[in-house]
Amino acid sequence: MNIRLGTADLAKYPFLNEAAEYMHQTYFNLDDLNLPELGHIVERASNRLRSEIEHGRPDYTLERHEVEILTFLVGILIIKAINSDNLTKKHCLFEALRAEKFLVRDLKAQGELSTKRLLLFKIFKELLKMDVLPSLKYQLMFEVKVADYLKRSHLFHEQEWKLINRLVHDGRVFLDPDETVRLIRAEVANLLLERIRQMNPSHIPSTIREQAHILKASIPVASSKLDNSPLAFPPCISHALDEMTAGENLPHSARVMLATYMLAIGKNIEEIVSLFKNAPDYDERVSRYQVEHLAGERGSHVRYLVPSCAKLRNDGLCFATSQCDGLINPVQFGRAVKFNRGETNVSQR
Amino acid sequence: MTLTKTGQDLHLMKIAFREFYFNYGNKVEEPSKIQNREFGLMSLDGVMKRHLKFSSLGGLFASLILETPSDVFASNALYDFPVLPISEKGWRGADLIFDIDLKDLDLKCRQSHSFRTCLSCSSSYLSGSDESCPKCSSNSFAESILPCDKCIKGLKNEVAKLHSFLTSDIGISSEKIITYFSGNNGFHIHVLDESFNDLNSQARADLAGYIMGIGILAEVIGAWKDTRSDFRVRFPLGGLDYGWRKRISDRLGISITSQKKLSNMIKELGGLEQFRKRVAEITKEMGVRIDSQVTTDVHRVFRMPGTLNGKSGLTKILCADLNSFDPFDESCQISSREVSVKIMLPKMKLRLKGQRFNLTEGVVHVPMFVGVYLISKGLAHAMDSNP
Repeated sequence: MNIRLGTADLAKYPFLNEAAEYMHQTYFNLDDLNLPELGHIVERASNRLRSEIEHGRPDYTLERHEVEILTFLVGILIIKAINSDNLTKKHCLFEALRAEKFLVRDLKAQGELSTKRLLLFKIFKELLKMDVLPSLKYQLMFEVKVADYLKRSHLFHEQEWKLINRLVHDGRVFLDPDETVRLIRAEVANLLLERIRQMNPSHIPSTIREQAHILKASIPVASSKLDNSPLAFPPCISHALDEMTAGENLPHSARVMLATYMLAIGKNIEEIVSLFKNAPDYDERVSRYQVEHLAGERGSHVRYLVPSCAKLRNDGLCFATSQCDGLINPVQFGRAVKFNRGETNVSQR
Repeated sequence: MTLTKTGQDLHLMKIAFREFYFNYGNKVEEPSKIQNREFGLMSLDGVMKRHLKFSSLGGLFASLILETPSDVFASNALYDFPVLPISEKGWRGADLIFDIDLKDLDLKCRQSHSFRTCLSCSSSYLSGSDESCPKCSSNSFAESILPCDKCIKGLKNEVAKLHSFLTSDIGISSEKIITYFSGNNGFHIHVLDESFNDLNSQARADLAGYIMGIGILAEVIGAWKDTRSDFRVRFPLGGLDYGWRKRISDRLGISITSQKKLSNMIKELGGLEQFRKRVAEITKEMGVRIDSQVTTDVHRVFRMPGTLNGKSGLTKILCADLNSFDPFDESCQISSREVSVKIMLPKMKLRLKGQRFNLTEGVVHVPMFVGVYLISKGLAHAMDSNP
């Protein structure tokens, strides 16, 4: 298919191959970013990154395509210059979230079916090698092949993403626009991450280096694990902590597990909130509210219990070892370890 | 617990199996991309050799004659380096395979033809009749089943159900679904559609859950939790036209125009929680009893079609027409010449290769395929003079 997207679409999806082609056609040179005329682009990209770092929120403002494509490029260059794996992952997730919002809107729009088809082709087929078609039977629904769906849906832990809870027929899964786009969020983020990692610019312009320097100073210090010996944590908690330290985007269920566990072993709100500092979407205000809610200090004033091992197994959060034998809740783990250690000491004596 | 076989048992089986491979070895099915598969050979005394590689069926054929294994396996997975340890093999996808086994069916008839063989005194007795061996009171035993016609019918029903799920829901065309009798107590269903090959274990578990009917939410049928009035009815965007939604709504007799009917039904059942239980019962009943561990294992070695099953002496064989397929006839390919065996059960009935056998405890002369079948099941032992 050799039909091209409009410039308005390139503004919304600057990671598409056509956006790169556009840059190529303008004879853009990296050193042009040192020109005062492009100062506002560098500032815009920098502000966008600052908002991500400080508030954990993507920027949904939309300018004309020349501005958006350049802002996207400058953002990536600044990230490359800062050279922080956590920040890179965070930025990729926010770019994916931004694209997700525009894509949902475009797929919901009551416009030409051919426009939707083109967008689906460019983003799903060309970029992600996945067939998505507007459903002819159900208005405002899309059809995804069962195998394509399963390859992605297993990353979601919520029960409604299980295939059995989907409308399935003749090898197709029917999804609404939100679900269709949600299915590929992680994939778009990973695709961007891969591109940034492979990107090898000849040099970084001085204005970009300056912005990178300023932004780097404002990044919160990465939290380390709690003082407790990691050996005392059950494997599910250790795994979630490792993921969090690596800046991975933990699912909601894993965050609830982590917070309720830490509350159960007596950690205070401050310590628990700081645990989430490395989360790509970290916003201290939101994290604090949620932890306080789980602690029973807000909302219904009910203190949430640590999910059972059975629930964690079902949610794909269990990484049991032989030390977990006989446990029904992760909070028992610490006690079992202590008990075993006690036994060892007795026998040594 | 494995069955203990005597030296004479192993000798008779070796002769029978070698003769089979000599005559029918050319009927062993060559897996696609054979050079990328891991092979496993189980010796008659129960030692498994894995991480083997054969570049052609000829090499495998030579091993079958020379080593005469009890069971021959090939991986569902394709690897860059099949002979290396699992972590270094370089996984390149795996065929999608389903296993339907008698043990998962809970059939009523099973008790009447399940047997235990005492590992202390080798006597056999009907399972469930005694907790310990009636002769020596030992509690160590091995269990075996002699499937009956009802068992085969039950298994075929599940295979047909699976076929329907795979074609109408998952969209796999019939010609890409190949059914084999496993050679013992079940069927293996191989899917030849490569678009499923790169699914990982979790994705396959989700597919298995769909087919088994596990984890359905009442919301997808239209019953939602409501904090004020227990529940409210709101049908999903795509309606109840297909898949599980259709199966359940048909069973309950509801449609998207019968909001009131569903609401009354939930009330009559005693609320949302009871309705959820009812839906779970329906999915359990209508789902297929597959062994999900088999489907989700992407590093498993599977019995090769055309080879003998060491637990029965029957062949894993293609089942071209499910309705007319008779495993006790078509998969029984061991020689018919006479051997003598000592039957360890007071009495038993058997149908193999179109013949019926009424056997009683003691030494009997039977065709080799009967002798091997019973020895494999631990219900008889070969005599000195064999063959």
